[in-house]
Amino acid sequence: MSNQRKRLNGEREEDDEEDAEGIGEWERAYVDDRSWEALQEDESGLLRPIDNSAIYHAQYRRRLRILSAAAAGTRIQKGLIRYLYIVIDFSRAAAETDFRPSRMAIMAKHVEAFIREFFDQNPLSQIGLVSIKNGVAHTLTDLGGSPESHIQALMGKLEALGDSSLQNALELVHEHLNQVPSYGHREVLILYSALCTCDPGDIMETIQKCKKSKLRCSVIGLSAEMFICKHLCQETGGLYSVAVDEVHLKDLLLEHAPPPPAIAEFAVANLIKMGFPQRAAEGSMAICSCHKDVKIGAGYTCPRCKARVCELPTECTICGLTLVSSPHLARSYHHLFPIAPFDEVPTLSSLNDSRRKLGKCCFGCQQSLLGAGIYKAHNCLNISKDRLS
Amino acid sequence: MIFKIEDVTVYFPYENIYPEQYEYMVELKRSLDAKGHCLLEMPTGTGKTIALLSLITSYRLSRPDSPIKLVYCTRTVHEMEKTLAELKLLHEYQVRHLGSQAKILAIGLSSRKNLCVNPKVLAAENRDSVDAACRKRTASWVRALSAENPNVELCDYFENYEKAAENALLPPGVYTLEDLRTFGKNRGWCPYFLARHMVQFANVIVYSYQYLLDPKVAGIISKELQKETVVVFDEAHNIDNVCIEALSVSVRRVTLEGANRNLNKIRQEIDRFKATDAGRLRAEYNRLVEGLALRGDLSGTDQWLANPALPHDILKEAVPGNIRRAEHFVHVLRRLLQYLGGRLDTDNVEKESPVSFVSSLNSQAGIEQKTLKFCYDRLQSLMLTLEITDTDDFLPIQTVCDFATLVGTYARGFSIIIEPYDERMPHIPDPILQLSCHDASLAIKPVFDRFQSVVITSGTLSPIDLYPRLLSFNPVVSRSFKMSMTRDCICPMVLTRGSDQLPVSTKFDMRSDPGVVRNYGKFLVEMVSIVPDGVVCFFVSYSYMDGIIATWNETGILKEIMQQKLVFIETQDVVETTLALDNYRRACDCGRGAVFFSVAR
Repeated sequence: MSNQRKRLNGEREEDDEEDAEGIGEWERAYVDDRSWEALQEDESGLLRPIDNSAIYHAQYRRRLRILSAAAAGTRIQKGLIRYLYIVIDFSRAAAETDFRPSRMAIMAKHVEAFIREFFDQNPLSQIGLVSIKNGVAHTLTDLGGSPESHIQALMGKLEALGDSSLQNALELVHEHLNQVPSYGHREVLILYSALCTCDPGDIMETIQKCKKSKLRCSVIGLSAEMFICKHLCQETGGLYSVAVDEVHLKDLLLEHAPPPPAIAEFAVANLIKMGFPQRAAEGSMAICSCHKDVKIGAGYTCPRCKARVCELPTECTICGLTLVSSPHLARSYHHLFPIAPFDEVPTLSSLNDSRRKLGKCCFGCQQSLLGAGIYKAHNCLNISKDRLS
Repeated sequence: MIFKIEDVTVYFPYENIYPEQYEYMVELKRSLDAKGHCLLEMPTGTGKTIALLSLITSYRLSRPDSPIKLVYCTRTVHEMEKTLAELKLLHEYQVRHLGSQAKILAIGLSSRKNLCVNPKVLAAENRDSVDAACRKRTASWVRALSAENPNVELCDYFENYEKAAENALLPPGVYTLEDLRTFGKNRGWCPYFLARHMVQFANVIVYSYQYLLDPKVAGIISKELQKETVVVFDEAHNIDNVCIEALSVSVRRVTLEGANRNLNKIRQEIDRFKATDAGRLRAEYNRLVEGLALRGDLSGTDQWLANPALPHDILKEAVPGNIRRAEHFVHVLRRLLQYLGGRLDTDNVEKESPVSFVSSLNSQAGIEQKTLKFCYDRLQSLMLTLEITDTDDFLPIQTVCDFATLVGTYARGFSIIIEPYDERMPHIPDPILQLSCHDASLAIKPVFDRFQSVVITSGTLSPIDLYPRLLSFNPVVSRSFKMSMTRDCICPMVLTRGSDQLPVSTKFDMRSDPGVVRNYGKFLVEMVSIVPDGVVCFFVSYSYMDGIIATWNETGILKEIMQQKLVFIETQDVVETTLALDNYRRACDCGRGAVFFSVAR
């Protein structure tokens, strides 16, 4: 009966019926796929597909964070003095335009943000930059603690050509990081956009070498998951992730900013000598050891050799003493004693009394609390808008 | 791991089990409980063999008062070895957990060629000559002769085996063909006859389909199996073909010529015996008069091949009078050969039913149907009487007698096809007369009736409803299982057009079209630049692959592919292909990336 009715409705219906019978089993999965209906506007007015997998992924990551925060109740030893090399792949794959405007530009932009965030969270650590071009790895900057020099060197040369070689990069980084003192944690973060690696030798040997020197290599891929990157990260204890889009890339990069847990047998407790310089008086004149020039006014004096340095944290160029100030140490310390995760306060109207008791403004930013998303600190009565602050 | 399915404790030798393996075992157990047959389809690579073996052996252990035997049928010797290897693993696991009550005797059985340890016999080239060489040394009359004449060569292994008599037993354990040979060599016993003897005592037997389906072989090897046996046919998607081939015979000119030669030799032997030992022929005649077509006290070695017809179709009557005397029988066979030669001399394709064939045979050559039915038994008896041991020489006459017996016995389900030209060489006359069986259920029906549970399993049994009708049986359970995967890893996609909207296909007439070749090339270049690590590309045939790669080379597409990944090509040489495959794997592992061009037929 229904068939006849459909025939009355017109030819097109009949064709659909016949098509539905003629298609194979595997095609039926795609027949009802009306992807144009699964769109919604986001806050900036752009149309985005309702991506269920992204939602599940976000929920999964939130669950992971909760679990790690729960585990953070126990004290985990972390590497606070990190010597991190960022390896950026400038092979011809970096010129692809699947990330707008090109992978190179996006990588540079986010690495800049990462460097600033990194030094914010790890003031005692140092970063170096390495680029892979034409199958050869070049050192863009040596290990240093000043974000500006790194960012300038990075933005200076943005061109993509040739093949990419993972082994050459690892060898170069391995050479550099071998000279680092033993209390420092050696890390490599590789931003890999190529799909293959053209190596001069056996990369498995290089990976074993890195593993022996306690080098923790993490890779963020921009094209697809490669077996060799997964193997490298598994062997050295790092993280391997592949960025799906720009926002995801930023999240993945910033995940590497807080210090990772230290590898048990390699983390040896050491006493490190550090200096806490006094700020020089205004109007005092001295020859600055970093610029080799006469400077008037603000600066710090190394307590051991009395040389003048411009900014902290740094290493004194004359006597090699690590110079830090107490806020830097406090900021690093914060990673060792993380605060307990906040509890979510339900926003039902029946509980309005308790809400009124807690107050109307967020403790952290003093903005008014309207709508959902209120979190209460575990022990005290302070409420805030974010979950972690 | 050890777990329970209803009341049976299953001993599974691995730590993890797939959900489909578990379901397979549940269904199998249900059909064993119901004492019925079942049809189970599960994809290759999901561990069907170990699921089957583990469930059936555990079922046996859980019901010690009604022990069942397992007969596992495989298609090739290689599969037999794999099954026995899995069984060994399982056996060790069970013995470790249950102790000595879990010990079983499991043997693999194959032809003499795979089990013989006598170097002189093994030196023969093919299976039939190995059989003949063995028989030359182990036939009862040869052994009787050697008692008087020490120059007659015997097989030491067989002699030791016969001497050991009841003590010739295999201790419990799982024996692959290699293990049987080693055991035989150590003890000095013949592994083949030992294994055949141990068929009655073994708990698990692994052999090929032929030993159960082909009446010629099954009549000897598998006649002592009881009803409480579970028969498993593994990789049984072609079982209907095997059944049909077991009951089909083809006769060519060369067969007829060989048969003529055999008959001449038989004639000579008969004359010789008439001159020297006429008593033997007379004794045979008397025996046939009394109605015993075959000597009842045949030793196992003398029985060469059994009747080609199914056991319940063999007439248990006295051999008809016109072929009781040896010379008359030879005359009848000669007339039959003449008639067949005449039939082969045609120019057209002819098709006939057995009934009309038999009636025309009767009118032209004067051979009745009943005479035809006894051809095989009579030949067998004659050859034993004449003490012929070169059985490989007498294959042609045996083929003709097979043909005659089957044509005489069956009226339905067969047809006779005569083709004047062989299809491979359409211009050279090579006539062939085929008696083809159409009904696959004929050969397998005795198996279904005789045994309690028959399991037909394979990776591809589609459509599964066809098999009960084809083989004419009623399964208690008929199920298809799917492979479970941890993530979505298969994306089927059919490419009908290239990027310039030209239709592409590997159809024979479109293969040389340059547009099609270019489109496929461009498609491959795009795939190779997006997919990480390895890509495998299957072609339809070697010649097509060579042609298309040469064209790609000329147009520069191959160079573009090589820029992204290394290229490996499969050839018809095994060593080269193994090397290419190994390097392909290494290239994928170390991050260089590779493409493998191969052929899927």
